[in-house]
Amino acid sequence: MTNIVLPLIFGVFFGFSLNKAGLTKYNKIVNVFRFTDLAVLKFMMTALVVAMSGLYALRGLGLLTFPNVPATYIVGNLVGGLIFGVGMALTGY
Amino acid sequence: MKYILNYIRKEEWSPYVAGVLLGLVGIVAVWVSNNLLGASGAFENLAGMIGKALVPAAFDNMYFNFIMPPGITWGVLLLVGVFFGGMLGAATSGTLLWGKKGAANSDAQWKRIFGPQVWKRWVLAFIGAIILEYAAGIAGGCTSGLAISGGMLLAPAAFLFIMGMFASGILTALIIYRKNY
Repeated sequence: MTNIVLPLIFGVFFGFSLNKAGLTKYNKIVNVFRFTDLAVLKFMMTALVVAMSGLYALRGLGLLTFPNVPATYIVGNLVGGLIFGVGMALTGY
Repeated sequence: MKYILNYIRKEEWSPYVAGVLLGLVGIVAVWVSNNLLGASGAFENLAGMIGKALVPAAFDNMYFNFIMPPGITWGVLLLVGVFFGGMLGAATSGTLLWGKKGAANSDAQWKRIFGPQVWKRWVLAFIGAIILEYAAGIAGGCTSGLAISGGMLLAPAAFLFIMGMFASGILTALIIYRKNY
């Protein structure tokens, strides 16, 4: 049961924060690549810093273990990122 | 309290506030259910489920058996939540355009660059989404699943991905906007 309800709740908060940051808008996404509106970058980096400090603190206290860390394969990540950027600038996803 | 309620109704939050909210959701997701937030994997889970039912032989490979197991996974349910969360966000700020005229192509900047036609918006979104999903498959995640969720675990993959994403994103924007860049 919790396996069904929890992801739905997390998802609602996830989508809510994306919407409020304006990341559901085409102009926000594409303007970060034109350096006219850096909201996407600010949003992403804030989320990263908050989450990484929180997670590492909690792990340091022994309260949680990390799930599978996304695998690093240099060429794949980089090429994937390069193609991804094209789609991102094109659609404003 | 009133201030908070008014802030929730604002259409556009400070990206720092929204970022803190997402960061906290990311922490709780790992803490409570040991899962990472991500969006692109859900497509592969669903595609795998449909594919296994229709052409089992074609989908009986490493990728769909082990890397992206088919079925209604955590990620699929998360994505359902994201859909409604986004709607909730728009509804609280009174900008929900669901079912309204011109809702499919409502972005002023998009119209200025590509034109007012709705079909163009659909076609470009469709093509772009194919590129996005394909690239996310190669890299092992998208902006949320790899860049943010991987980055918060300090996975090198996330930062390589962000580098690539911005390099080609800037280039694509340059090509699309040319003189207007």
